[in-house]
Amino acid sequence: MDRDAAGTSDAGSRAGGDASAAIRRRNTRRPKYSKFTQQELPACKPILTPKLVVSLFFGVGIVFVSLGLVALLAAHNVVEIVERYDDACVPPTNIDNKIGYIQDVTVPKDCIRILTVTKDMKQPIFVYYQLDSFYQNHRRNKTCNFRYVLSRNDAQLRDPKNANHTTSCDPEKMANGKPIIPCGLIAWSLFNDTYSFSRGNETLTVDKKGISWKSDREHKFGQNVYPSNFQNGALIGGKMLNASIPLSEQEDLIVWMRTAALPTFRKLYGKIHVDLKVKDKIIVKLINNYNTYSFGGKKTLILSTATWLGGKNYFLGYAYLVVGGLCIFLGFAFSLLYTIKPRKLGDQTTCPGTTKI
Amino acid sequence: MSSDRPLTDAASPHPPASQLPPPQPEPPVRADPLGFSVEVPDPFRPPLRDQPDPTASQPELLQQEDAAESRAVAVGEPSAEFAGNAIRTAKYSALTFLPRNLFEQFRRLSYLYFLAITVLNQLPQVAVFGRGASALPLAFVLLVTAVKDAYEDLRRHRSDRAENNRLAAVLSAPPAAAEFAPRKWKHLRVGDVVRVESSETLPADMVLLATSDATGVAHVQTVNLDGETNLKTRYARQETQLRFSRDGGVGGVLHCERPNRNIYGFQANLEIDGKRVSLGPSNIVLRGCELKNTAWAIGVVVYAGKDTKVMLNNSGPPSKRSRLETQLNRETVILSIMLIGMCTTASVLAGIWVLNHRGELEFTQFFREKDYTTGKNYNYYGIGMQIFITFLMAVIVYQVIIPISLYISMEMVRLGQAYFMGADLDLYDKSSSSKFHCRALNINEDLGQIKYVFSDKTGTLTENKMVFQCASVHGVDYSSAKDTSGYSVVVDDLLFTPKMAVRTDPQLLKMLRNGGSDEEAKLVLDFFLALAACNTIVPLVLDTKDPRQKLIDYQGESPDEQALAYAAASYGIVLVERTSGYVMIDVLGDRQRFDILGLHEFDSDRKRMSVIIGCPDKTVKLYVKGADSSMFGITNKELDNVLATKAHLHKYSSLGLRTLVVGMRELSQPEFLDWQSAYENASTSVLGRGNLLRSVATNIEGNIHILGATGIEDKLQDGVPEAIESLRQAGMKVWILTGDKQETAISIGYSCKLLTNDMTQIVINNSSKESCKKSLEEALATTKELRVASSVGTLNPESSGVILALIVDGNSLVYILETELQEELFKVATECSVVLCCRMAPLQKAGVVALIKNRTDDMTLAIGDGANDVSMIQMADVGVGISGQEGGQAVMASDFSMGQFRFLVPLLLVHGHWNYQRMGYMILYNFYKNATFVLVLFWYVLYTSFTLTTAINEWSSLLYTVLYTSLPTIVVGILDKDLSKSTLLAYPKLYGTGQRNEKYNVNLFVLNMLEALWQSLVVFYIPYFAYRQSTIDMSSLGDLWALASVIIVNMQLAMDIFRWNWIIHAFVWGTIAATAICLFVIDSIWFLPGYGAIFHVMGTGLFWLLLLIIIVAAMVPHFVIKAFTEHFNPSDSQIAREMEKFGALNQVNRAEIPMRTVS
Repeated sequence: MDRDAAGTSDAGSRAGGDASAAIRRRNTRRPKYSKFTQQELPACKPILTPKLVVSLFFGVGIVFVSLGLVALLAAHNVVEIVERYDDACVPPTNIDNKIGYIQDVTVPKDCIRILTVTKDMKQPIFVYYQLDSFYQNHRRNKTCNFRYVLSRNDAQLRDPKNANHTTSCDPEKMANGKPIIPCGLIAWSLFNDTYSFSRGNETLTVDKKGISWKSDREHKFGQNVYPSNFQNGALIGGKMLNASIPLSEQEDLIVWMRTAALPTFRKLYGKIHVDLKVKDKIIVKLINNYNTYSFGGKKTLILSTATWLGGKNYFLGYAYLVVGGLCIFLGFAFSLLYTIKPRKLGDQTTCPGTTKI
Repeated sequence: MSSDRPLTDAASPHPPASQLPPPQPEPPVRADPLGFSVEVPDPFRPPLRDQPDPTASQPELLQQEDAAESRAVAVGEPSAEFAGNAIRTAKYSALTFLPRNLFEQFRRLSYLYFLAITVLNQLPQVAVFGRGASALPLAFVLLVTAVKDAYEDLRRHRSDRAENNRLAAVLSAPPAAAEFAPRKWKHLRVGDVVRVESSETLPADMVLLATSDATGVAHVQTVNLDGETNLKTRYARQETQLRFSRDGGVGGVLHCERPNRNIYGFQANLEIDGKRVSLGPSNIVLRGCELKNTAWAIGVVVYAGKDTKVMLNNSGPPSKRSRLETQLNRETVILSIMLIGMCTTASVLAGIWVLNHRGELEFTQFFREKDYTTGKNYNYYGIGMQIFITFLMAVIVYQVIIPISLYISMEMVRLGQAYFMGADLDLYDKSSSSKFHCRALNINEDLGQIKYVFSDKTGTLTENKMVFQCASVHGVDYSSAKDTSGYSVVVDDLLFTPKMAVRTDPQLLKMLRNGGSDEEAKLVLDFFLALAACNTIVPLVLDTKDPRQKLIDYQGESPDEQALAYAAASYGIVLVERTSGYVMIDVLGDRQRFDILGLHEFDSDRKRMSVIIGCPDKTVKLYVKGADSSMFGITNKELDNVLATKAHLHKYSSLGLRTLVVGMRELSQPEFLDWQSAYENASTSVLGRGNLLRSVATNIEGNIHILGATGIEDKLQDGVPEAIESLRQAGMKVWILTGDKQETAISIGYSCKLLTNDMTQIVINNSSKESCKKSLEEALATTKELRVASSVGTLNPESSGVILALIVDGNSLVYILETELQEELFKVATECSVVLCCRMAPLQKAGVVALIKNRTDDMTLAIGDGANDVSMIQMADVGVGISGQEGGQAVMASDFSMGQFRFLVPLLLVHGHWNYQRMGYMILYNFYKNATFVLVLFWYVLYTSFTLTTAINEWSSLLYTVLYTSLPTIVVGILDKDLSKSTLLAYPKLYGTGQRNEKYNVNLFVLNMLEALWQSLVVFYIPYFAYRQSTIDMSSLGDLWALASVIIVNMQLAMDIFRWNWIIHAFVWGTIAATAICLFVIDSIWFLPGYGAIFHVMGTGLFWLLLLIIIVAAMVPHFVIKAFTEHFNPSDSQIAREMEKFGALNQVNRAEIPMRTVS
């Protein structure tokens, strides 16, 4: 990639240089000479030479394969315990009418699951719940402003003065003639299953502080905005909020309101600051409140360690391996092609048929 | 006796034959004594009506036409019945601007589309983006265009106002005193009698009533009308001339045809004093012409304002649309189908989803069908309506697939390209100090796809400067002219110098000056006397700064005659004065008077003119000059002389000179008397005067002694042959369309290397439809024969050496154009590599252009300098005007104007190539980048239960086309160069890129769409799989998608840029940085859902690894295709690029490149 500043521009500047001054005085209509106006700025002209193409392919291939291996290793080191409990936590008697069961407030929803640790897990251990087929990105066009994904009011969440700001919160704007805080469908549908963990007799405390984004706590949810009139409507969508705790400390709400991008998503429930050993039995007491049965959604509990790459996902590693492998393959393929059908660059004669110059 | 007989007989009831349109049923011939006449039949009217016969049948014809067909004008009585003289070229007024301009703009189909989208977005049910925001892009585009239009119209308003407020001297209406008072042009009415002084411009189309010349002659210059700079003679009828000088006014009623655009035709009659006087084209002077050589002229306005012929011919430039923009419509349709497909898919799937989940929706948290406060379902429209509304919303979300920004980008790129074309020093003409101008800003890229170049001759290829080059006198060739010793005449202490000095041959000069008495010197003297006297040149004496010095300017209709008169003057035979009865010639310092006893004008049958002169020594001589073909038939039997002269003529014409043969005969007294009586009889006869005069001329023009021959160079402009050669190598066909006669056209064809001796010439010159048909069929047969014959030997017919040249005469075109013979002409013409059309009327030029334009997809370019080229310039896809010459009509009508013909080469080969390449790429790229983005949006919808959520922030969606991706394409569209100027000029064949539509075609479009598909899949699905079952939130993922999309579309651009200079670097990388900054800013606004997302997601390693793999995986296919085609199937440009880079270019000797001609 060398430069072509020489050649044309040299000649041009000479022609323009001495003659132009005199002419310009005589004649103002003459366009001024400059490398810019004559489109002669020094420029780099990259050309895909065989050497360049092949080395690019091999270079990228090698880098990608190594990155892929690193990513796979990282994913491999993550320990993850996955427990789906939506069906398991419905008593056998109610198995035919899950919706009736979940909507019946008189039936206790307690449920106990036992998890076995498959590998040593270093703290912190992240507790997630995962919902399936739950479209937090849903956007309906029933009425003008009724869209799940936008059914919230950020002004109201941030400042107590804006308690009456409930635009775009349809249909959870007002209840009993008073504004709902926090208004909107998202808040209304807040996930309300709860988990508590113990290993043997030892209770594993779940740390629920700091599970949301710091920026959300500090700027999006007000420190003196308190829930009020929440879940007071005819239909209760999810969790109740303690009206004495300001929104900025309602971290479950904050996490929930960061709407998930995809219909299968995890939300952080809390963190356990205890190392777990392989074959440890973890007893989970959970209260199965949240209704995913009406739309056939799954509920899953996950305990997972984390690496720099996030959770246990082998996809990235494989993707890097595939792309890297492809590049190396292409590097070989092109080397072969260049050897079989060499062409002298810039030579008109070596290119039969196509040269029309 | 008749020694002082005036050339024109003032007492005669009719002007002499020479001043009348020929009464014979033949097209009107513009009188031109030398034979370089232009016959100008109206090409598009049936032949019968082309032949006005003012003396006989025409008045009756006029009367038979009903009143609606003609208009009656009472001379001297202004009538308000007809259009006033105010003109209006402006399109809009302050009131009509808004509606009309909007109407014009919305004739662009895509604008209607954008309008529909904007309107759709205003509906509450389907609104996706903010209402105002969605209207902004369209409003911006409309505003920019409106401002541009308003500015252009303002300029037109100004020039209209200036034109309308000019003053003309008008005869006051009858009750007032009969005097001429100034009045503004716009207040002139049909019927006004107007007086025009010398050098004034005529304010309207007027019939001449009287002039300062007793014979009623007036000279006008029609440069604004037909591009010819020579003077034309017009006549006032004797009846009106006399009446005016007697009464100071003219009454009567004039009947004339209704306004029409034929500038060479006019039929009218004037009822005056109970007589009916017929008027023809030679009696009318047209608006825009200038009166010259005539102290004053008085005329009656017959057509005013918008009815004038110049205004009727000024249809205004038709708005041209570039080829790429037309093709772009096809791609727009494809994209619309894609759009409809995507919207249908999304809405139908949404409907199916709702149907499938119908029973569950009541309690589904994210759907919640029921409003529990009222217990009712929300206003649910039903599945059908649901689908329909989803469809409309989808249209709004995915509308960017048809990029509105493309139209803005195209305008800006063209603006930039126009700037650089204007700034190019290679397109700057020093001699006329004229820059290149882009007058039409929407067809820059068409310059790169031209296949046909139609060129005017006079003023375009040639300088319209005839220069006497060599003479053959009595069989001796004198062509070694060297010095330009100007010759001057001294009279009464005044020095008279001819305006132009001609190089003289020293030997000839010596012989003339010293020889004195011997026979040879006498012949030489006769030769030059013939040149000085046998013409219709009027010498004008001009003042110079020095009061003792005067300049003699020869004015006349024929530039050849001027050249000859100047030549004679340089040899010392100076024509000093001409009156109607005699000429004064200064013969080597001795001022002598030669009586003009008779003059036989040029006509197309004889192809010569002659004058009979009474010399001071009382002899009577006949001087004849004419085309060689007509002269050698009437010579005496001096064979040696004739043969030698013929040989010289051949030599001259092969040099591309225009040749004339000069001869003389001394008349004996009885011969002269015979002739005189016959001549007088003929001139005074009422019927068949022309025929009689012609036979008189034929009788006397015989037994001629050949004095010699002349060779006149019709000077080509600089670099014309080379330019034509380059254009032809670049695969363009160059056609010459000229008003000149056939021989001249052919000689110019030779001198500009268009014609060569190894070409087979097909000439079509007929005067009836049948014969035209026959010769066309023959020509077609010839071409087929040659094609078959040549294809036997080789595949390439050109290499066998058979190159065809077609020469068509304008007369034949009358019978061919707009009839079924067109098709045949087209077939013949496309088989020929060279086409010359001669004796063309302005509209015929347009007709020939249309012949090609309407039958092929090939792009046409017309280049010309005169008003007669306007129609062709407007007809062609690209019209180029030569500026710097007189008369701005062609420039005004053109799309591009420049100083020289040869600038076509850098214009087309360099700028045209660049513009086409850049614009083609830019359009495809804009389609590609928006498709990529829309597809990313579309894939997401599959994971939102088919509701039209966009993870990408709506501000980012808007900014994507406006800011994130548009600036680099604009800069690249202006600045990128696939090849350097020197390479493009050295290898004209590289121009073929545009002709073969290599940079913009359906295949490339499909390829781009496939790349968009692949890249959108990569951008969407790699993060999708990586973030599946994770805590990723919508805004973070949206930011990743947005950033990745922007980076890969800019990478795609980066991979296709040929030349990276610092500006391009700045814009490409700067845009990516700007996108990141915009994302930061958007995610720093607390009330947006994405608050903090970009900072959060950028803090994870996964984000960066994903970005890297997205970029690489997305670009691999493009890179592979590029690397593969560039190496294994390289284009011309690619090889030339490599030659540039690896220096092979400098080693290649340009002479080694085979100079094959291209058809």
